[in-house]
Amino acid sequence: MLTERELQISPIVLESVQHNTKTLTTLHNLTASLFGVGAGILGLESYPGFIFYLVFSLLTSALVYAFRVRPAIIKNSISGGKAGAGIERYFMGSMELWTGGLFEGLSGFVLTWTLFYGLVRA
Amino acid sequence: MTWLSTSITGFGFVLLAHACYSAHEHSALHSTSTASLSSLTSHGPSVSAVAALPIDISIETIVAILTICLGLVLGTPELRPIQWRVWAGQIEREGEKGFMNGDGEVDKDYVGNPFKVLESRPGFVDIRKQRKEFAEWVREGGSVEG
Repeated sequence: MLTERELQISPIVLESVQHNTKTLTTLHNLTASLFGVGAGILGLESYPGFIFYLVFSLLTSALVYAFRVRPAIIKNSISGGKAGAGIERYFMGSMELWTGGLFEGLSGFVLTWTLFYGLVRA
Repeated sequence: MTWLSTSITGFGFVLLAHACYSAHEHSALHSTSTASLSSLTSHGPSVSAVAALPIDISIETIVAILTICLGLVLGTPELRPIQWRVWAGQIEREGEKGFMNGDGEVDKDYVGNPFKVLESRPGFVDIRKQRKEFAEWVREGGSVEG
């Protein structure tokens, strides 16, 4: 976590933090419902369903890293700037990207999982 | 970029709907066949209520999910730098172009130059430039109406 001294030296733009968090949360909520549909169709039960959710959520975060974070870092390094390299350019820490949306989407995942399990195997 | 993500997502949803329908048909067909089979043989309860899903439906489901995921990720707006110096530098360098969404419109919450308050102070007024512009306006015979 950042100390007050570091915040004074390099201030944080709150609007950008909100924008990034909102983008990531919306994406994770949408995809969690989608993974529930998939788990229901596949007919997963108990632990395999949650492992399915975990794997695909991490995959979504990897896609975000590949398509949203990585190109800006490469562009930045080509133009010669070394400021704000890595995930710290967009998020407070790397954990926010990788595990940030895991628990927010879990309820939506269970909802659509049970719904589609019941629909498909009626 | 927007039409690309939308078409990828739409294609994924078509695949997912097809996989869902296939799985439903498979389970319905299997339950009726096992019911008729158990009524024919009448050996008590059937061994397995629901057979495993055929491999092609599983593969189609997973491919559909990956496709929709890709489309949704491509459709997300660009992230913004959170450090003030990086963010302000990007605004100074790229202006409105750095904050456009996929449709080529500037985002609604784009605030512009964060130092506009400082730069519009009276001490920062370029009085010579304004005098020059005024002189040109007079030379061209400008009037209040014009």
